[in-house]
Formats: sequence, C-alpha cells, structure tokens
Amino acid sequence: MRGFAALADAQPDPVQVFFKQVFWLALAPPVFVFIGSLNFGWRLGAAEPLYLSGKALTLIGIGYFFALLLGLVCTAVLSKWMAATYGARDGLGVHLALVALVAAPLATGSVFHLFPHVFVNLLALIPALLWSLYLLYKGLPIALRIGPERGMLMASALIGCLLVGAVSLLGLTVALWTGGIGPTIGV
Amino acid sequence: MNGVGLHKRLEANTGLLIFGILFVSAIGGLVQVLPSIFQDSLAAPSAGVKPHSPAELVGRDIYIREGCSTCHSQQVRPLLAEVKRYGPFSRAGESAYDRPFLWGSKRTGPDLHRVGGRYSDEWQRLHLLDPRTVVPNSIMPAYPWLAERPADAGPDIQLRMRALRSLGHPYSDADIEAAPAAIEGLTEMDALVAYLQGLGTAMPAGGGR
Amino acid sequence: MAKEVYHDRVVTALVLCSIVWSVVGMLAGLHVAAELVWPQLDFGREWLSYGRLRTLHTNAVIFGFGVSALMGTAFYSVQRTCHVPLFAPGLAWFCCVGWQLGILAGGLSLLAGWNAGKEYAELEWPFDIAIAVVWVCFAIVFFGTIARRRMPAIYVSNWFYGGLIIVIAMLHIVNSLAVPVTLSKSYSLFAGAQDAIVQWWYGHNAVGFLLTGGFLGMLYYFLPKHADRPIWSYRLSIVAFWAFTYAYIWAGPHHLHYNAIPEWVQSLGMVMSLVLLAPSWATMINGVMTVAGAWEKLKTDPALKFIVLSLAFYGLATFEGPMMSIKSVNVVSHFTDWTIGHVHSGALGWNAMITFGTFYFLVPRLMGAPLHSVRLANIHFWLALAGTMLYVLAMWGAGVSQGLLWLSLDEIGELSFSFKDIMASMAPYYALRLAAGLIFFAGALLLAYNLFMTVKGRRTVAAAPPAAAEA
Repeated sequence: MRGFAALADAQPDPVQVFFKQVFWLALAPPVFVFIGSLNFGWRLGAAEPLYLSGKALTLIGIGYFFALLLGLVCTAVLSKWMAATYGARDGLGVHLALVALVAAPLATGSVFHLFPHVFVNLLALIPALLWSLYLLYKGLPIALRIGPERGMLMASALIGCLLVGAVSLLGLTVALWTGGIGPTIGV
Repeated sequence: MNGVGLHKRLEANTGLLIFGILFVSAIGGLVQVLPSIFQDSLAAPSAGVKPHSPAELVGRDIYIREGCSTCHSQQVRPLLAEVKRYGPFSRAGESAYDRPFLWGSKRTGPDLHRVGGRYSDEWQRLHLLDPRTVVPNSIMPAYPWLAERPADAGPDIQLRMRALRSLGHPYSDADIEAAPAAIEGLTEMDALVAYLQGLGTAMPAGGGR
Repeated sequence: MAKEVYHDRVVTALVLCSIVWSVVGMLAGLHVAAELVWPQLDFGREWLSYGRLRTLHTNAVIFGFGVSALMGTAFYSVQRTCHVPLFAPGLAWFCCVGWQLGILAGGLSLLAGWNAGKEYAELEWPFDIAIAVVWVCFAIVFFGTIARRRMPAIYVSNWFYGGLIIVIAMLHIVNSLAVPVTLSKSYSLFAGAQDAIVQWWYGHNAVGFLLTGGFLGMLYYFLPKHADRPIWSYRLSIVAFWAFTYAYIWAGPHHLHYNAIPEWVQSLGMVMSLVLLAPSWATMINGVMTVAGAWEKLKTDPALKFIVLSLAFYGLATFEGPMMSIKSVNVVSHFTDWTIGHVHSGALGWNAMITFGTFYFLVPRLMGAPLHSVRLANIHFWLALAGTMLYVLAMWGAGVSQGLLWLSLDEIGELSFSFKDIMASMAPYYALRLAAGLIFFAGALLLAYNLFMTVKGRRTVAAAPPAAAEA
C-alpha cells in the first residue's frame, strides 16, 4: 500500500512513467514466453508439447507485447476518463502509475511463461491476479484520493472493462489460429 | 409521433404493453424458426436411414434417461480435423427419426455420431460396466445397473412405437406386433449397446469434406 | 375499510426458498464438478450418476434459485412501482407454493431418470404442464397488479419482468410440445434438425429473457432504489428494452454453428448475436451511470458492492457471448468447457451476484431490522469475486486447450492428439474449477446463514402504499 500512498501525493510525468514502468511491464511477459516456447514448446495439457517456428513465435511475441502495452495504456486512459465521473484526480501520469502498480504482481507472475505449460502458468498467475484485484480495490481510492465507496464503484467498472479486454484477446487469438496464424488446426 | 411518444402510450396501457412485447419478440421466431419447421428437406430422412428398431429405441431412451448427451455430442462438424477424428460429417437427414435430437452442446467425452461399429459389442459392455477397465484415465461414470435390468422394464415398447407412429415414423402393424418379442430377454445394457452400434451407420462410408 | 398493506410475506417466502435452492443447486454442482475429477464419487448409484445430477444442478439453480428470486422481487417491486398491493394475493401464494413443489418434484423426477432430453427443458410433460399453469397464474398476479396501478406510467423494471413472463411462456409452451407415452415418457413433436432449431430458439432465449432480461428487471428496480436516484437515461432504457426484446430471439442458432441446419439460419443467428451487444451494453451503461455520481448518498454496504460488481460480469458475459457466436471463434470454442465458463461468468458473476446484492438489500427491509452481520457479507463479497474469477479462468484454460488440441494437426496433416489424452489432461483444470466452486459455495453458505439469522424470530413488517397512507 505504500506505493499507492506515495502516489497520492505525487504528480508523475506520464512519459517518464511510461518508459520507466509500463514499457517494461509489457515487455517482460512476451520475452519470457518467447524464450520459454522456443525451449520447451507450448504445453497445453496433452503429453506432447507444441513447438512453433521462430517466425511464428516472433510474431506472437510482438503481438503479445503490443497487446499488453495497449492494454495497460488503455486501462490508464480508461481510468483517467472514468476519473471525471467518479470525482477522482486527473492526470494521465497518476493513472499510468496506478495501473503499473496494480499490474506489477501479474507481470512478476509471468516469469512462469519461461515454462509455458498452461496449468503451471494458471497456478502461478491466479494468486498474482487475485493480489492485483485486491490492490485495485484497496489502492485505487488511496492513490486517486477518493472515498472508498467511489473507489469501489470505479474499481468494479475497471474490472468489467479488463474482463472484456481479456476475453477479446482470447477471442482474437482463437480467430488468428482459425485464420491460419499460429498452430496448424484442421478447420 | 416520435418513439418516446409511442412508448408513452405503451407504458400507460397494460394490454398494449403485453401485446407489444409478444409481437416484437415473436418476429424473430416467425421469420427464422417457423420456415425451418415447414422446410421438408430438413425433416426428410437420408437414404438408408430407417426408424430405430425396438432394441435401438429402448437403448436410445436409456441414453436420454442417463443424460449421456450432457457429455457426448452426436454431431460431426464439416471440419478437416473433425472428419479425421470421427468420420463423415453429420447430415440433417440422419436425425430425421430423432425425437428429441441428441446433437448435444458439450464434449466432455468424444462425439458419438459415428461410434457405431467402431468397437466390439464386448468392448462397449465392459466400457459401460466400468469405463476405466478399457480406458484407464476415463472420467466417465460406470453404469452397472444397466446389466441387471431387463430391456422391457421401461414404458411399454408398443406404446412408444405407436406414439412415434402418430408422429410419422413408418412403423407397420407387424413391426409393432413383433416388438415385445424383439426385446424379450435383453437387458438394458444390450439395448443401449444396440443403439450405440447402430449410430451413424446408415451413412455410406467416405463422404469427407 | 381495513388498512391497505403490501403483500410482502409471499416475497419473504420466495426469497427464503430461493436461498435454499441456491444451496441445493450449488451443492449438486459441486458434486458433479467433483465427479469429473473422481468419477467413482457416484458410488455406483443411479441417482448420483453425473448425467442425472448435472441436470438437477442446472434446473435447481435456474428454475429454483433464479425463478424464485425473480418471482419474489417481481412481487415486491411491482407493488411499489404501482402503489397498490398485489392483485389476487391468494394466487400469488399459489405461485410460490406451486412453483416450489413443482421444482422439488421435478428435481426428484430428474434423479429418477425422467428426462425429456432437451437442454434446460429436461422436465417431463406433467411438470411442463404444472409449470405452465403456475406461470399463467404468475402472469395474472403480475399484470393484474399493473392493471390496477395508481401510477400513470408502468415503470421500466416491469417491462423486463413482463418480458420475462410473456416470452418464457411462449418459448416453454412451443418447445415442450410432445406426444406423451406414459407419465414419465414423451416424444418431442419436432424431430432432428427442426427439433434442434426449436430447442435453441428456446434455450438461448431462456438465457435471454430469464437470466438476462428478468434479472435486468431486478437491476432496474433495486439499483435506482439503492442509489436513491432515478435511472440515468429513461430514453436509453426504452431503446435498449425494445432492441433487446427484438434482437435476442434471433440469436439461438449460434448454438448450432457448423451443425446440420441451413447456412442462412446460422449466419443470421451470428449477425443478430453481434447486434445484441448494443442493447445489452446500453443497459449496462445506464446502470453504471445511475450509481456514478450518487456517492453523496451512497454507503458502501455489501448489497451495493454485489450489484455493482454484477454489472461488470454482466458486461463480460454479454460481450463474450456475441464474440463466441462469431464462426471463426466458435469453431474452436464450441463443445468445449469455454462454453461452461461463459455460462458461469453469467450465472455466478451476474445472476447470483445481483441476486445476493438484492437479498442483502431486501431482507433487512422486509424484516425491518438490520442485517445480522455486515462483516460476513463483506467476506462473502471477496469469496464470490475470487470464486467467479477462478472458475472463469479455469474454464477458459480448459476450453481453449480442448478447442485447439482437438483440431490440431501435425506436419503430415494427421491429428496431433488422441481424444483420450486431451480428456485426461483436463484433470487439473477440473480440480481448479472444483476449488473455485467450493470458494463460491462457501460464500453462498455465509449468505444463507446471515439472512436466516436476520429473518429468525421476526415477522415481515407491514408496509402501506403511499396512496393508501394519504387517503
């Protein structure tokens, strides 16, 4: 919570936050997944791991990176946009920093992408995700200097948007597979 | 009159509101569902598809009773991998005598539309008695009671066939007359295996995409 | 003349029944979830067998928990939005008791193996008739109350409850048409592909008008009530309601993509599913904006937390549904556990949470006493959130894996994996799902305890309509 309290009194510069925090948070998972997939293949549960060509992996990695970057920045922009409605502080820097703080456990958990076994990753990322959720509900009102009831409303609204974002990514990935990018599937 | 004005009348009159909801919600069904119900080509049996034999009919009703379709679909989609895995894709005419249809919505277990003839009767029996004796990691339930119960324990077979005949299944008087004898001495297990072994077999081999 | 009061005792009864059904239904769900990890858990007994118990699970939660809650809240809100007591209160009691007995007997019949074989319409014909009779009585009480209202306009929550009553009646009657053989057995009037189209017209819109529309009625009454301010945009609610009622009906065939039904029916189903996103989200925005800005009056009580979070999951489910109806996504997601995850993001995240929130709001008001324990309710909130999240994630993982592995081909174009191996690899996801279910169920038990303690030893307070109070 100390990070959030510090943020409450700060007015960080968005460009600085972007390059010092957000960029690296978005870069870590794709790098991990690239290294992991190259060495161990994707293990989606069945016995045989799925190996993808370096080219496909690079494409996926770059896509993943930009998706995460876009996701983080969009969440911050969304949060800034909602701030007016919920009477919270303005300033893109604050919201970017808030998103970075909340996403930090997840980015840390993504170190398990080094061994891209779906279940191992789920096991590691689920506590990370729950921790992130907790940080969102508890940290948001502190960092944005609003009452807990407004914070609760705003956090729930953000969760809704994030869930939609997550499922869009899932859908997009699947649609890409069907379209012939990624693993060979017989459709 | 603009939309809000129209709505002011609807929301001030209970009868109008009821009628409005009924009318607006019925349109989709009338345009999309009703034509399908009257489209004869959807109801016509494919060549070689016959009404279920008495044993198959009993087996099918057991399949429904035990909720097999909560985990097994009976619908091979026209996809390369699916045709490779299961066999020729399913045609509408193959389900012409299926009341209700059992295409399913979930494959916790594999699709069963082309399972007929794929395993021996003996394998099917062992598998139903205890799936893990033949498929070690299976999570399918065991159905030991099927082997202990006679096939004619359920609703009378002649009543069932007459009900289906009233819906257009071409059972002759002789078929119905002979039905009790056809299932006499069989267990529910035998009937279910007969049904499974008949599944999807009317479709000529090949097909593919 | 005796003082005119609202008939709220029947509301209390329905709320309590709904809570009981939620526990029963979720317990059945937990057991079938456990059976998918340890199949021996049916102990060789027919009535504990997966195929029968799973059917009980869906029926108990949808028709027991869901419909009892909808009926109770409809009776509560229709009186208050019309400023009159219920029309034919005796009939309202008949609805309450008749429905409970019908679902109880129906549930037992499912365990006994009476099964019509249609998803979400498994009850056999005697129960279909009983349900239809109770439903008509529900309609008489509800619309009768509206017809003698003292307010000039019919409030928006009543449009959705009304839509629920009318459309479900239409769907139920058509889809249940069958030729009876004996008491326990009937054959569907429709066969094969036609039966499939009718069934998913029913199945999808049972989700639409019961689990979505019905609960939107709950939202439109209880959210503004709780926030103590009118709905954000009246005009938006009108447009959303009629667009929703019109568009939903068309979307059923997306359950039959690549199945043996006409191509145009599938494509139309897909397009209309996408269109449906607009009215669904319009309603969500209306709800969110109603509470946004109301915090001067707002107290962060558990009820509001649940209702607001339910909107987030509503947003997810109503977005995920149209997305999964796109053919290139559906080809992978269909027949997998992704569908199960999608249903539960709606059922746990939206339906159960808004119901929990509404109950936390409603029961203390019905009893004229504070909630037994706010702390327990706050713990319940975290359990519900964690349980739903885990459930959805487990099923996303399982579903996407299944979809990909089933279709996956190797470099010479042969299948990469056997079905058996893929099935066996699901065990960890199923275990995770069971854990998620346990967490969610623990929360529901807390709610049951909390609300029964609130009700215990108290009687429903008598509330009078404003018009009668003035007279």
